Amino acid sequence: MTEFPKLTYEALTVGEQFVSDTHLVTPEDIEAYAFAVDDHHSWFTEDSPFGGPVAHPTLMANQALHLRHSKYVVHAGLHAKMEFNFLEPIRPGTRVRSRGTVIDKYERRGRQYMVTEYVTEDGNGTPLVRGQFTQMLIPEGTRHAGR
Amino acid sequence: MPVAEAVAVGQELPSLAKEMSQRRIDVYSGVRPRSIHTDEGWAHQKGFRTTLAQGMMSTAFVSEMMTRLLGAGFVRGGTLSMAFIKPVYAGDRLTVHGVVKETRSEGGRTRVVVEVWCQNQHGEKTAVGTASGLSPA
Repeated sequence: MTEFPKLTYEALTVGEQFVSDTHLVTPEDIEAYAFAVDDHHSWFTEDSPFGGPVAHPTLMANQALHLRHSKYVVHAGLHAKMEFNFLEPIRPGTRVRSRGTVIDKYERRGRQYMVTEYVTEDGNGTPLVRGQFTQMLIPEGTRHAGR
Repeated sequence: MPVAEAVAVGQELPSLAKEMSQRRIDVYSGVRPRSIHTDEGWAHQKGFRTTLAQGMMSTAFVSEMMTRLLGAGFVRGGTLSMAFIKPVYAGDRLTVHGVVKETRSEGGRTRVVVEVWCQNQHGEKTAVGTASGLSPA
């Protein structure tokens, strides 16, 4: 049974690892994403140079971004930075999973941040996307003043 | 869709315009209570004037711009790094921009490096960064 403690800066450990559930990429996922970002490239539904349709390269970014939710209850946060290296196209019918490692945490100007290195892989363990992201933690009971 | 055959340093890419409707934000983020993206009351409690789009949506817009420029050389071999410097609110209108800042040889092809940014309807930059990809073989 997994327990889900609240995510706090103090609880977070550099070096701790996260893993997502496996997700089957469906044509419906690709269609919904195309609507959300208003990008209807023909490669998403028809043939592409890779043989068959491929997804938008950033399709699975939220799977990576939500990795910390696999261990913690996250009160609120803001996304500060995102990096991608697109290694292979994401094809419908692929089962994908993201893994991440916390590589840094720091406080700056009274705000708390965590940095996660991630990889999104297909069912054979082939890396599709690698990168890292920085997230700000908004502690419970506080407000973010906006920027 | 056209893919650039020749890219010059200093070249400005065709900009994209994106309307940040709540409907699109809902589909992107998934509707949840206690979410600054989809729960307006919660966004107010957290100090924002309304719901926010995920910063990640801007990376998708840049990805679209780069795929238009480089095609398959962005989908396989592309890179993208962005910092989200200002909130994007539901109802905002973003424009997505890019200027080629470098080209360099890589494995017999050319890597095209582009300075990218998004700005809102007030002319304020909301996200800035760099993207790159490989020109057509």
